[in-house]
Amino acid sequence: MRPVQTLDRDGPDMPAVIRRHASFVTLLVVVSAQILLLSLQIIRPNHVRLIRYWAVEAFDPLERSLGGLMNVGSTAYGTYRHLWHAEQENQELHIQLVAAQAQIQRLGEQAGETERLRTLLEFKNQLGYQTMAAEVIASSLGENSNALYPAGIDIDKGSDSGLTTDLAVITPEGVVGKILAVFPHRAQVLLITDPSSGVGVTLAQSRVQGILKGGSNSFCELHFVMNEEVVSRGEAVVTSGLDQIYPKGLPVGTVVNVGDGNIYKTIGVKPAADLNRLEMVLVVLKPLASEQQALNGIR
Amino acid sequence: MPVSTHRPVAVFKVHPAIFSIVALVALLLQTFLPLKLPLARLMDFPLLIAIYFALMRRDKVYGIALGTGLGLLQDALSHDYIGIRGIAKAIVGYLAASASTRFELESLVARTVLTGVFVLVHNLCFAALQHALLETPHPFHPIDIASSVLVNVALSLVLFQILDRFRHPA
Repeated sequence: MRPVQTLDRDGPDMPAVIRRHASFVTLLVVVSAQILLLSLQIIRPNHVRLIRYWAVEAFDPLERSLGGLMNVGSTAYGTYRHLWHAEQENQELHIQLVAAQAQIQRLGEQAGETERLRTLLEFKNQLGYQTMAAEVIASSLGENSNALYPAGIDIDKGSDSGLTTDLAVITPEGVVGKILAVFPHRAQVLLITDPSSGVGVTLAQSRVQGILKGGSNSFCELHFVMNEEVVSRGEAVVTSGLDQIYPKGLPVGTVVNVGDGNIYKTIGVKPAADLNRLEMVLVVLKPLASEQQALNGIR
Repeated sequence: MPVSTHRPVAVFKVHPAIFSIVALVALLLQTFLPLKLPLARLMDFPLLIAIYFALMRRDKVYGIALGTGLGLLQDALSHDYIGIRGIAKAIVGYLAASASTRFELESLVARTVLTGVFVLVHNLCFAALQHALLETPHPFHPIDIASSVLVNVALSLVLFQILDRFRHPA
């Protein structure tokens, strides 16, 4: 087996270089030692020994760099802490904002409700009937080819509150419908837009009377108006009081289209009350004493 | 005249006692002679001794040690900081020992020229160290340096002849 020869590719090793230049290395060591000796003796005009002056000069850039790095680190850490606190504060403020928005919305709801109740109260006071305020608690929707429309609503008052069937349900804007079924704590209301409903009405200008029934959608149809009667679009429709359910003179709606039929006109009426947004309603219990006497006089 | 690298060079020594006496006398003369003779301030007896023995021994480490020793003693006997002359003479001792292997030192001209060069190097090193370490504003005085070179070269012509009498091959 021949020994494997290895080549020293890294050049001569350091001790060999030192041995080769031993005398020069000796000179460097001796000179360096004496420079060190001198630096210990020499005092600069500012009463600083030369070795200390050199040490400070040598380490000053390092210290400055280290100080700079520490400052940068300190600044970065401070910035991080600031950002962290800002993030925490941001989250807290966001939570407070959400709560405030919810409170604003709640207050808005309360304000709206207060306004609706105020309007309802004013309307109640103007009516010559004993009424009871009720809140709409449910709504059933009907559907046709165009859209959903309210077919009936439930209110939060029932037989325990003295309600019976066939009591008129109204709002300040207009007639809503009548009570169809009564339960102890709630009642179902048949809207005037229901095809099975019927309301005795009078056209406000022409004083022509007819029966208002529900149409195929959220509009109503006015029946039994002869073709020869003059009915114009935009004419107001009010209750006639002849159906014994709805008090006379309550707004019902507005004529939106008029056409001639075989015998009777085909008249479309848009309900005055927004039946899609009912929240509070009034249930007409019975006429006040003065109103009852007037009604009896008419009959 | 450069020496061939193939030719063996002669190395000389002196008796240690003689060397000690010569070094001691050189230091004493360097200390006290300038007090009596103003021109002696240009002379540098320890430097000439260092140059001579470094040239004769042809040993760089020896030259460094000799120059350092004489320089430090010279500094110690003066009022200067200890080390400046030690550094300058260590460098000269190293250069002299290095040059001794390349030049025929039996030639008076070569030895004289080398001595002048080494004195000049010593003075320049000394001035440079003063400027660098002591912040001396104007350490380089050409007239003084030239005068020192001339005086010391002249002194070496006599001194080296005397010392040659005490040397013997190593």
